[in-house]
Amino acid sequence: MIVPLEQILILAGLLFFIGMGGLLAWRANLIMMLVCIEIMLNAVMLVFVAGSAQWGDPDGQLFAIFIMALTSAEVSLALAMVVYLHRRRKTVNTDLFSEMRG
Amino acid sequence: MKLYLALILLLPLSGGLFNALLGRLLPRRLGEVVACGVIWGAFACSVLAFISFNAPEQVEYASWLSDFDFKAPIALYLDQLSLSLTMMITFVCGLIHLYSVGYMKDDASPSRYFALLNIFVFAMLTLILAANLPLLYLGWEGVGFCSYALIGFWYTEEKNATAGRKAFIVTRIGDTALGIAMVWMFQLFSTTSITELNGMGFLMPTGVITALGILLLIGAAGKSAQLPLSVWLPDAMAGPTPVSAQIHAATMVTAGVYLLIRMFPLIGSSPTTLAAIAIIGAATAFYAATCACVQRDFKRILAYSTISQIGYMMLGVGAGALTASTFHLLTHAFFKALLFLGAGCVITALHHQQDIFSMGGLKKQLPAVYWPFLAGVLCLAGFPGSGGFFSKDDILGAVFDQGGTLYGTLFAVGLLTALLTAFYTFRMLFVVFHGEASTPLNHQTLTPDTRSAGRVEPIMTITLIPLALLGLFGGFLNLPKYLVSHGLLSTFVASIPGFSALEHASDATGISLQIIAATTSLLGLGLAWSRYTGRRRAESLQLEDAGLHFTRFFLNGWYLDHLYNLLFIHPFTWLSRFLWKKIDESTIDGTLNGLARITMRLGEIPAGWSNGRVATSLIALAGGTAALLGYAVWSLM
Repeated sequence: MIVPLEQILILAGLLFFIGMGGLLAWRANLIMMLVCIEIMLNAVMLVFVAGSAQWGDPDGQLFAIFIMALTSAEVSLALAMVVYLHRRRKTVNTDLFSEMRG
Repeated sequence: MKLYLALILLLPLSGGLFNALLGRLLPRRLGEVVACGVIWGAFACSVLAFISFNAPEQVEYASWLSDFDFKAPIALYLDQLSLSLTMMITFVCGLIHLYSVGYMKDDASPSRYFALLNIFVFAMLTLILAANLPLLYLGWEGVGFCSYALIGFWYTEEKNATAGRKAFIVTRIGDTALGIAMVWMFQLFSTTSITELNGMGFLMPTGVITALGILLLIGAAGKSAQLPLSVWLPDAMAGPTPVSAQIHAATMVTAGVYLLIRMFPLIGSSPTTLAAIAIIGAATAFYAATCACVQRDFKRILAYSTISQIGYMMLGVGAGALTASTFHLLTHAFFKALLFLGAGCVITALHHQQDIFSMGGLKKQLPAVYWPFLAGVLCLAGFPGSGGFFSKDDILGAVFDQGGTLYGTLFAVGLLTALLTAFYTFRMLFVVFHGEASTPLNHQTLTPDTRSAGRVEPIMTITLIPLALLGLFGGFLNLPKYLVSHGLLSTFVASIPGFSALEHASDATGISLQIIAATTSLLGLGLAWSRYTGRRRAESLQLEDAGLHFTRFFLNGWYLDHLYNLLFIHPFTWLSRFLWKKIDESTIDGTLNGLARITMRLGEIPAGWSNGRVATSLIALAGGTAALLGYAVWSLM
């Protein structure tokens, strides 16, 4: 493999923490939060693919395709919910939603 | 005999149970008839027992308590003493029951009243007839309980219920001493039978006998309202008047004297105990007489006079004159019942007015009460020739015969008390029955329905007559030696150990003592006459109504109640308050509350996290992940 596994893992970790930081910081916009989640998922996918290439096993790539399909379904549902929420509350700021309060 | 004795006890008990269980379902009249009938039945049985009596007898019915050495069977012991007391109790209580029918005719709960009254008699008879101490104690506590329930009979008024509780609690102090004495006696002698105990006194050193005697004396002082446990009796007037009559005359207060007389062969060998009994008796007699001189509540005067007269009986026991004490106990039962029942008539006639200063001139309006009451007054005051004169003089004579400084002083105190007794007795008579009527009775002007409330039922005045006769002629029971060679009672009881008749020094001494006593009584009469009749009456009454400083001291019973408040009740309430406020509320509750508060605060921290905001969950998620990762890294290294 051209790129060593460690470097890919470092990149994936960076991506993951960027996504996570964005998720925590950008709470004012639900759509941006969804984007950040995508980034985190992609970081995970990258790890799968890297692992697959490292050990010559197609399972990791299969998982990556699987996650892609799953993500597209998730995003379409999530966006529909965002639209719905926006219609109800006229906002996408998550700090203003506290109906889950116990 | 076995049957008679069983019936004497079982009749009042069954009457009480009948009234308690069925009384409310059956017509009122039936309950009254049963209640009176059983007591008169018991009286008939005791008369039959008297007829067939020839020697002291112990009858055992069943085993009651039995454990290793300890045996307390249901056994009755009938000797001359218990027989004469049984006859007196059943007779006097029979009259009181009849009287109660009239007195309580408007009361709402007659079955409770008569049930308690019957059981009261049952308990007293058990006490008198018991052959062993546990059975005696059963009766002793039974009397205590019934007096509690009857003194607080009208319990809807706080004052009455408190008086009942006071009677129960104060007598309980004495009961504890008696209980200790009982257990100790069993430990020393391994028997509880009274006759056996009485024969075993010589086995023990005098010190032990003295201690036992003092314990019994405390028990007797509680029951018989002697100093320093006398405070319950004046308050016990809260009950219905026939109850007071029964407590004072026949049941309850004489129990203490009876106990001491019964146990005399055991405790009599200790001169210290005897001196203590005599001193307590004389002191109480004097104390109560001074208090009675200034009381203005009709029944309280009588209550103090009872304390005083019981003091005489104690004095008699202390002087070793058991016959004289028994004699006084019997005559006192008759005339005190008479006085209380008479007072009940007056109180009923005056619509439950008890203040003697608002009475007066009742002689003309209530002649049927006046004449028997006069007989009672003569007896109580020890008027020459009356029953009370002879019995009281017997006691004083016995004290005089003991000689010595102590008994000489006690004799002087007794004589002074006799003077006071005559004074306050006639004061009561003159203030209530003589002079001008201050509140008119006005049977005629009252409306019909209030008239019935103030009407004295004929049965109430009729019951006074036999008591008056017995009181007046009670002296014949035991005439002094210079008149007859042997008094009836002395002969009758002579064979009981301890009762052996004390020899008067001489007839001349006897006669001179009687003359002194008669003079004392007449002096008291004269004093009261000059103060409360004629011109000076209004003046004295006004003076006493205003209340002097030193009369207030006697009016409040030498502030004995206040003393107890100060010595016992205040420290106790202070301690209770301290334990309640400081220990319980501050320390214990405070600690618990503090712990609860800390837990609540701690709980609020995670509770704040569940605010439903997405951000919190996310941060928690991130934090948790970071922590897990950190842990993984740390454990790898």
